[in-house]
Amino acid sequence: MIKWWKIVLFVWIGVFSALGIMTPIAGGLSDLAIFAEVGDTRLIPVAMKIADHDLTEQEDGTFLVAGEDKYGDDAMFVLPEKPAGFSEAEGYLLDARYDKENHRVVAAEILGDYPGWSFPYIPGLGERAKIIFFHVPMSWMTVIAFLVSMWFGIKYLRKKNLIDDAKSAYAAGLGLLFCILATVTGSVWAQFNWGTFWNWDPRETSIFVLLLIYGAYFTLRSAIEVDEKRARLSAVYSILAFVTVPFFIFIMPRILPGLHPGSADDVNAGPVVSSGGMDAGMRVILYSMLLGCIVLFGWLMSIQMRVFRITQKQEADDIAAAEAIS
Amino acid sequence: MALAVKPASALFQKDVRSELRTRYTLNALLMFVVISISVVLFSVAGETLQPEITIGMLWIVMFFSAMSGMSRTFVAEEEKGTTMTLQLLASPSSIYAGKLLFNLLLIVCLNAVIVVLFLLTMEKFAISQPGLFWLVILLGGFGIASATTIIAAIIAKARTKGTLFPVLSFPILLPLIMAGISATKTAVMGTTWEAAIPDLQLLVSYIVVVITTSFLLFDYVWKD
Repeated sequence: MIKWWKIVLFVWIGVFSALGIMTPIAGGLSDLAIFAEVGDTRLIPVAMKIADHDLTEQEDGTFLVAGEDKYGDDAMFVLPEKPAGFSEAEGYLLDARYDKENHRVVAAEILGDYPGWSFPYIPGLGERAKIIFFHVPMSWMTVIAFLVSMWFGIKYLRKKNLIDDAKSAYAAGLGLLFCILATVTGSVWAQFNWGTFWNWDPRETSIFVLLLIYGAYFTLRSAIEVDEKRARLSAVYSILAFVTVPFFIFIMPRILPGLHPGSADDVNAGPVVSSGGMDAGMRVILYSMLLGCIVLFGWLMSIQMRVFRITQKQEADDIAAAEAIS
Repeated sequence: MALAVKPASALFQKDVRSELRTRYTLNALLMFVVISISVVLFSVAGETLQPEITIGMLWIVMFFSAMSGMSRTFVAEEEKGTTMTLQLLASPSSIYAGKLLFNLLLIVCLNAVIVVLFLLTMEKFAISQPGLFWLVILLGGFGIASATTIIAAIIAKARTKGTLFPVLSFPILLPLIMAGISATKTAVMGTTWEAAIPDLQLLVSYIVVVITTSFLLFDYVWKD
């Protein structure tokens, strides 16, 4: 029987992933002005609301229309063609730049209708800003899984129950999975945004250290045969790693200059921690994705624990059967 | 949990005495240091290196010499079969304290030899602030010894002892190594020693945190 919350989880992650990917990025006049100020003629997506349904055809075949951007600033917009259904349209999403001499927003292309819901345009990122909905929850899960693994390690040392050790190992396994995903997504993204796959930015160093620790943890586990001894020593190692690692994850990326948001040379402590640093809609999707990832982590843990219990029961049954025969 | 000074110092003296009699670790370590420095010298082949690279080389030699020598303390007890006797004779904290003292002594001697050899062989390697430089080397050595002592105790119970040691040590030691390299750079190239204060604070707090955690966790590692 499928439990209802599993369906909810699937829908939850699906809906918020789709929202994160599909929502258009749209800037305003202030974003256009930033580039116009330095003479950059690149096109950025701009949402335009028609203020006056009156098109003026100009000499070069373009059309002039009065409108306002998504933040309510008025401007004159130049459209490349007369759009179909103009009289009923609310507005358009344009690929545009700002013409400083004539004080006009010149659109090269009409991308679509006016988006009722959009993310702000972030200079230097554009569409690439959407990685935050996937990469950041994965990176957080890497650390949370490590914390869970250490928590069950401590619990094992106190209670000496091998189930806690299994939980610790499975949490570390899932943490390693999230760690690899975060590293790969971040690295591919860095190639397109920063020009290289790897820069040794402080946060890249920290995820690399986490990878090393997960690797060392599993190497240690594979090197010890006795269950109790393995549980004890790997718990000790994960605690030891956890007291030294916060330096990499929480301190170093904030005191050193780097490429990630929230570095020492950044304007604030990063979009997630500082208030007002991030668009409300993006924030809601990011936290929803994080919540989805945490529940997914718990579900995967419970599946693995069920497999563990069934395997244990199977072994016990086998031993009992063998004893019955002899 | 009780930490008694007497068994700890007795264990320390026993380790020093047995090391001086056999000189197994000392000889092996000395040869390791000579070999690794000569590899560095062969690759450099008379060229003047930038100070950053020399400092990197110095820390590489220091890290891997420690990796080849520090694990002996507990592995030797395990190999000789004296672990049980030790467990009967002294509390885990005393054992840890004794072993930590021995490792501290060993790494201070080791680092002194490495640095002196580096200074003798790299003629262009000038240090602007010798006092700070030696302090950083001393603190770095203490840090390496404090973290590797408990890891040595862990790997003594595992199967593949030699290869496992650097694998487990490196991620734990990374904050120390990074702060150490940064402070060494300040000592070699910087003009004021104040610039190294954050790194020195980090080195000291690392040592305190790791030794405290080790004392708390050693019980679980030591008792079979």
